[in-house]
Amino acid sequence: MLDFLRYGVILSLIISLISLAILIIKTFSFGRSPLNAKPQGDVKRGILYAFGRGMMPWEKESAGKHLLTYVAGILYHIGVFMSILYLFTLLFLIKLPVSFIYMFRITFLVGFLCGFALLLKRWLAPTMRALSCPDDFISNVIVDIFLVLAFLHTFFSHLLLLFFLFAIFLFLYIPIGKIRHCVFFFIVRILFGHFYGFRGIVPPQKKVTFEK
Amino acid sequence: MSKEVETKDGHIYPLEEKINRLKPEDFKKALQIFKEKINHEYAAYLNSCVHCGLCADSCHYFLTYGDIKSIPAYKLDLIVSVFKGAAPPTHNAAQSAEKSRKSGNVRFFRELYSKIVGAKDFNHQMVREWVDSLYGRCSMCGRCSINCSIGLNIAYLIRMARGVLTAIGLTPPGLKSTVDTAIEKGNNMGIPKEDWIETVEWLEEEFQEEVDDPEATFPIDKKGAALFYTVNPREPMFFPLSISAVGKIFYAAKESWTFSSGNYDVTNYGLYDGNDKGAGIMSNRLVQSMEELGCKTLVLAECGHGYNSNRWEAPEWLRKKYSFEVKSILEIVADYIREGRIKLEPSLNEKPITIHDPCNLVRLGGIVETQRYILKHAAKNVIEMIPNRQKNFCCGGGGGQLAMTHFSERRLKVGKIKADQIKETGAKIVATPCHNCIDQLMELNKHYKLGVEIKTICEIVANAIVV
Repeated sequence: MLDFLRYGVILSLIISLISLAILIIKTFSFGRSPLNAKPQGDVKRGILYAFGRGMMPWEKESAGKHLLTYVAGILYHIGVFMSILYLFTLLFLIKLPVSFIYMFRITFLVGFLCGFALLLKRWLAPTMRALSCPDDFISNVIVDIFLVLAFLHTFFSHLLLLFFLFAIFLFLYIPIGKIRHCVFFFIVRILFGHFYGFRGIVPPQKKVTFEK
Repeated sequence: MSKEVETKDGHIYPLEEKINRLKPEDFKKALQIFKEKINHEYAAYLNSCVHCGLCADSCHYFLTYGDIKSIPAYKLDLIVSVFKGAAPPTHNAAQSAEKSRKSGNVRFFRELYSKIVGAKDFNHQMVREWVDSLYGRCSMCGRCSINCSIGLNIAYLIRMARGVLTAIGLTPPGLKSTVDTAIEKGNNMGIPKEDWIETVEWLEEEFQEEVDDPEATFPIDKKGAALFYTVNPREPMFFPLSISAVGKIFYAAKESWTFSSGNYDVTNYGLYDGNDKGAGIMSNRLVQSMEELGCKTLVLAECGHGYNSNRWEAPEWLRKKYSFEVKSILEIVADYIREGRIKLEPSLNEKPITIHDPCNLVRLGGIVETQRYILKHAAKNVIEMIPNRQKNFCCGGGGGQLAMTHFSERRLKVGKIKADQIKETGAKIVATPCHNCIDQLMELNKHYKLGVEIKTICEIVANAIVV
């Protein structure tokens, strides 16, 4: 049964990756002709900015103003990536040192708490609730449960069946709902860096200052 | 929401009624155009909003009204929901029943999927929301885009969706008439050619007297001039001094330059109604003049959206690479200062000045420090607004809001953020390189009793020039 589920997880992951690949191909099939305007800035530096300084709270007002949400979001995503990594170690029967298990445990717990807090915010803040569609809640709950199962599995190994079963569900849901941003985020950040970098808007130009 | 729309048969109908009269073929057409307008960039954006809501307080509409309809993610979601589930409404009940019988299970799963991901039909209600939110609650300033957790270019998606509305005749009347006038008459104020030439000649005479030099000229259609200078039609109509200011700078720099007698309009409201074809027609006129006159550089007047349109967007609308340079007048003036071609005396501008950054020129155009470099040399006391540069707030006049009179109450209300920013600086002059912004700032000045003067950057430079 366990082996059967193990292959099930791998198969669902493959299905998920293929579906995401189809989504990306479909997205790029809309096409766009190369830009004709003469560039003013550096696209590469724009893209680097988009993935680095451009996401920092001192640079991005929305992150700075909502520092708690921003930090919670980062910790949540770290937890998610770590739980996927943990799943892979279980899938491929990799033995982990105890210190690693502790580290995973902490990231899962913190990740879950942050994810749950974001879920509560979505539910309790009237504007957030009004802005949300069922997928926003479903995606969050699915990932939260996945984190809880990962966390519990570090204590109770017999939960592996349940963890694998839920992983199958998670992987199959990824291309359907908003979790697909796990790939689209990177595409959009590149587009962001390209757009603003091409025009010389980012990285910010050397400031001209005035005497006070 | 718009009160009235004038139709071809001369009757006045409420815009609401025009929406009510949309037929299934109109929706079909709209969706077809929607699909045609989507490129891979837009498709990626439409797949990526996570509804984190962090964009909300980057928007001056949300900060003013605090309602969900003003959240950029909500406005974006109106477009995304149609993208996810676009299907024209079926008015024929029998046809609908037959379809549902045939495709029972598929339909069930489709509807379930639609509900989960928030897909919606493009119907009358949705069109109403599009008009109200995408035209009436957005100045396309792009502040939400730089604050988006993912980095979605929301302003450009809104432009694309506005283009869909335009295609089915739902451009708010003021904006539509501005675009129509520009396309039909060559400039957005419908100024006859003779009046334009007469104005330039009059300004030239005045200037010759001012500098006591009968050889000082404001040339028109001078072939082979290095620079072809464009203006915002509001300048000859209401702000001729801003034309004189630029003439004085060119005179002092001993520049070879010219106006065009026909195609001089730097503005392009096609940027705001989302109609690439119309926008292309307007921008192409400047390209034609450049080619006819054989100038080296197309110089764009102090106009934010005119800069974004002609510097960045027009080559894409026209699908051609320009054989000439396109520059803002600010870049030209900054070069004059750097090269010592003009001499400035900052003490001639003693009053404290603050800078308003036009969104299309700065956040979307990349002209950020140039105006500051100029003012550093042209004025004694410059105070920055907070926030400034790419992070600056829109004055509220962008996105065609100044032309859409039925949204003017909202426009003035959202402008309070800018008014407060100005007040905070204690400046007596607001310098801004954009005539749209100037119009809005003048209204804000009156409405919020700011007691400031509003000037272009070149006016300040002209005042400091030592000829």
